[in-house]
Amino acid sequence: MNRRIFLMSVAGAALGCTRGHKQRLNVYNWENYVASSTIPDFEREFDCRVRYATYGSAEEMLAKVMSGNSGWDVIFPSNSFVQPMHELDLLAQLDHKRLTNLSNLDARFEHPAWDPPLEWCVPYMHSATGIVYSKSVSRRPLAWADLWTDSYQRRVTMLDDPAEVFAACLRRLDQSINSGDPRALKQARDLAIQQKPLLRAYLNEEVRDQVVAGDVLAAQMWAQVAQVAMDNSANLAFSFPEEGFALYADNICILRESKHRELAYEFVNYLLRPNVAAAIAIDMRTATANGAARATLPRTQRENTILYPAPEVLARGEWFAPLPGPAQRLRDRYWTEIKSA
Amino acid sequence: MKHLRAAFLAPGVAVMAILFFAPLLIVLAYSLLTRGAYGGVVPPWTGESYARVFDPLYGEILYRSVWIAGVSTALCLALGFPLALYIARAARHKGLLLNLVMLPFWTSFLIRTYAWMFLLRDTGLINSMLLSLHVIREPLPLLFNTGAVILGLVYGYLPFMVLPLYATLEKLDPYLLDAAADLGAAPFVTVWRVVVPLAKPGMVAGCLLVFIPCLGAYLTPDLMGGGKTVMAGNLVQNQFTTARDWPFGAAVSLVLMVLVLVVTRALMRRTEELL
Amino acid sequence: MKRFLALYAGAAYLFLYAPLFVLGVFSFNASKIAAWRGFTCNWYAKVFHDPALLDGTMNSLTIALVATIVSTIIGTLAGYALWKKRLPWLTNSLYLSLLTPEIVTGISLLAFFEWAFHFLHVQLGMHTVILAHISFSLAYVVIVILARLRTLDPALEEAALDLGANEWEVFRRITVPLLLPGIIAAALLCFTVSFDDYVITSLVAGVNSETLPMIIYAMARKGVSPEVNALSVMITMGLGVFILVAGRLEQRA
Repeated sequence: MNRRIFLMSVAGAALGCTRGHKQRLNVYNWENYVASSTIPDFEREFDCRVRYATYGSAEEMLAKVMSGNSGWDVIFPSNSFVQPMHELDLLAQLDHKRLTNLSNLDARFEHPAWDPPLEWCVPYMHSATGIVYSKSVSRRPLAWADLWTDSYQRRVTMLDDPAEVFAACLRRLDQSINSGDPRALKQARDLAIQQKPLLRAYLNEEVRDQVVAGDVLAAQMWAQVAQVAMDNSANLAFSFPEEGFALYADNICILRESKHRELAYEFVNYLLRPNVAAAIAIDMRTATANGAARATLPRTQRENTILYPAPEVLARGEWFAPLPGPAQRLRDRYWTEIKSA
Repeated sequence: MKHLRAAFLAPGVAVMAILFFAPLLIVLAYSLLTRGAYGGVVPPWTGESYARVFDPLYGEILYRSVWIAGVSTALCLALGFPLALYIARAARHKGLLLNLVMLPFWTSFLIRTYAWMFLLRDTGLINSMLLSLHVIREPLPLLFNTGAVILGLVYGYLPFMVLPLYATLEKLDPYLLDAAADLGAAPFVTVWRVVVPLAKPGMVAGCLLVFIPCLGAYLTPDLMGGGKTVMAGNLVQNQFTTARDWPFGAAVSLVLMVLVLVVTRALMRRTEELL
Repeated sequence: MKRFLALYAGAAYLFLYAPLFVLGVFSFNASKIAAWRGFTCNWYAKVFHDPALLDGTMNSLTIALVATIVSTIIGTLAGYALWKKRLPWLTNSLYLSLLTPEIVTGISLLAFFEWAFHFLHVQLGMHTVILAHISFSLAYVVIVILARLRTLDPALEEAALDLGANEWEVFRRITVPLLLPGIIAAALLCFTVSFDDYVITSLVAGVNSETLPMIIYAMARKGVSPEVNALSVMITMGLGVFILVAGRLEQRA
């Protein structure tokens, strides 16, 4: 199949797109965000071909679709990318009449902060940043401030992501995680530099196996990844820090450039079905934004307080928002200073 | 001769013109534009990005990168030269031995780095073995330091040294070595006096092919070094990703490219005009 | 001396293969985590039921093969021409292309393709990935070929010319055979950088051109699955057998 496409595209480079007999839909998603049956079932039901590919970072996706001629139809940006992508005129306005399953969304996501009328996106999955830690430690890290103490023999990691590290530092300073105030950012930088000697490393998901193996005793980590680690070790626990923490959500969007608008709507509506969304949540151990789907999940997963924190915990959370240009530049400069310290 | 040479050059020049110079002009334009709010570039034209490049913070990063890349290149040469010599002088299976050097590199770089992390971590294979043999009492800090970064770089770019070295050493006349031996030269003296000068083009090519990518490496410092230091590659990479400052990223990389080009060319002119 | 070299080479091979042993072991691990939890062959079976992984492998092999053939030919010709007569601007620009950080190559090629395709009504795909790979691997080929050419004696060519052979014949009959080890080394290098490239590829790839590194990097976001280890082992074994067979055939020929 692929070689045929390849030969055709080389032979007819000027013609570009290949036209099979069936309708095609091009879906560009994060890895591990659909169940194994999701795509084949959709193809069967709607008699179409889905070209499904995955990306590793939001920037990679954005750089690709920025031209408006990428060929993708449906994409899954994080909450802080929805507004920017709308401003760049990349997203199609959603016609709610065609999304009959929209009512299945959890009440929490009916009017999300990043797009209250759900004009441009449909919330899909959500998670939060907290601390995954070994139960054997003498002092349980229930607050970010604990990661500034030497109770963990320098076996602590923070995420290798400026937004996350600054979020933790800013919450320690009782500031918003999205603060662009130069003074707050500077204080946050000083906190991070102060913490650096206590850290083993700045690592993202790569740290998971080391947390399970016991190399790392406490790590700033996304709840979804921590859940997988905890599934593999009974000795781990997770906390949502007292000072407050970052929340994030990934959303389904249709690109303005999409040439398969009809099918794209069918796909979004299909993902919103309770049974489809539930199958994904079970297969991938993720937290769905689909309330109707969550209700059908097995009790252990439905009431999992790491994937679905209690309302009083969530009250401490804060959604990531896009940072204005000058603040972003300052934060990056400080990030380079932290890394060089 | 002229026609043949022109015909030989044409495809290479065409590729460079279309797929290198045209995009390079775009990079140049990017470096002179203003940062878009969410990545990308917008008007107006400005030289601001270049003004920001010359900053002690970035000078320090460059200095550290050159140092780490230099040490890695030297180690690659020390490790790669005997290996290339061995392959080039093997009586049989030269091709096979060479291919065996390349084979591990057809597994994803990321996967191999993860494997190294597993070998080197506190509860990893090396530390566990040493601990169970009572050679050490505490796990050795093998991972997340400069040493680990250098190890990762040497591992990652060793074939870039071995291949050009092999390409020149293979030409080496075995009789030359025998002749040197007959004249009573000690083996190491032979290698130093006879082999090394002949292999010089390969050594220069290999050092370039290792040093340059080492400077631009970003994953190895992030994973093997635990993200605790920034190399030039990380600085550029970050501008296009988390910092969303494309003009600055473009400016940093252009300055870096010109700087390294000028310095390496000057060094090479001194050693003997090679390439 | 010989024994010392052999020992040294043995140690170097051990160093090169150490991480592969780890992969091999973990491809049989029952757990997804890098800690031993029992033996299983499931991951190997899973690879064959993962169309994305298989497609990606095919795409990667196709791209690497085409890019290697094209840039080895172009680079060998250009290297030969540069050996005959220096062209500082061309060698300098080849250096510059080698010096360009990957992400900058990727972003600029993406911008260039998108600008060009605006007029041509083409979209990103396999063709753009192959073009990008040719562009960044050309410098590798030229540098390796030139290193080899410098060990050759120009008098040989002149002698052949004096005997009445034309230039093309001299190149084909005399120079290319002498260059062969260099050409093979260059092609191997090309194939390796192309097969493993992620940053540039991910930026210029289109809807139907997902490569194996792209899949692996995306997967890594959730921790690499042993499935990928199993696939890596199979690729290594497959290419290893191919190399052995090719070596045998070469010796017989």
